Amino acid sequence: MKQKCDRAIVERRSFLKLAGASAVAGGVALVSGGKSAEASTTADETGRLYKQTDHIKTYYELARF
Amino acid sequence: MAAEAALREASVALIPEDELRAQLYHFLARFLASPPDKTGLESAAKMDGDDTELGKAFGVFANLASRTDVNKVGQEYQDLFIGVGRGELLPYGSYYLTGFLHEKPLAKLRDDMGRLGIEREPGVNEPEDHIAALMDMMAGLITGQFGTPAPLAEQKQFFDTHIASWASHFFADLEGAKSSVLYAALGTIGRHFMEIEETAFSMA
Repeated sequence: MKQKCDRAIVERRSFLKLAGASAVAGGVALVSGGKSAEASTTADETGRLYKQTDHIKTYYELARF
Repeated sequence: MAAEAALREASVALIPEDELRAQLYHFLARFLASPPDKTGLESAAKMDGDDTELGKAFGVFANLASRTDVNKVGQEYQDLFIGVGRGELLPYGSYYLTGFLHEKPLAKLRDDMGRLGIEREPGVNEPEDHIAALMDMMAGLITGQFGTPAPLAEQKQFFDTHIASWASHFFADLEGAKSSVLYAALGTIGRHFMEIEETAFSMA
């Protein structure tokens, strides 16, 4: 029973990893206001700028904006 | 401030996946509770997603955030959720589930909140089944903001009862709403994240 339970936890963690629980590099905590103002200033300086990928370009071509 | 410190302390003990889940819930709650200010919008514009569906949705959101301004987003929020008389969408569980506000689902939520020791901040008049409030409660259950981090089974029960039945519909509506621009991308993020949560909970 315990073993089965452990396996489920491992599977769940792997799934979350793959599905994109780590999809956003560093940014979400910053934007969600979970950190102090000080932390966000530092993170702002090191924050990566958005890179446009082909996928996004296509999205814009297809989207209505 | 004390709550923030407690939040930071609690998140230290969380596994990285759960910490990110909590941050995603906080992120959704923040943008759904009110439109972003200048700093929020600037930070949002700097986010960078990876190649997963969710990561791509964040890329779109960041790009749109960089092309709008506080006034435009404010107007967008107004048209979507406030409007004249009412906004385009009514982001309440009770409305999505019964067609009316303040119905049984809200009463059930209040019962569960009482059981879990969650209450509204004084001065907040919004019914508790507002999508932003529910996203915030999930974040709190994960991080232990309301005491100790809720076991996965308890998170699952709360999610299944109060969120799973309607949040995906709401996020899809947000994606397709006439007034949505930046919020369309937020809808995509929310929809993907709800799918991930549903699948992950089914593994627990």
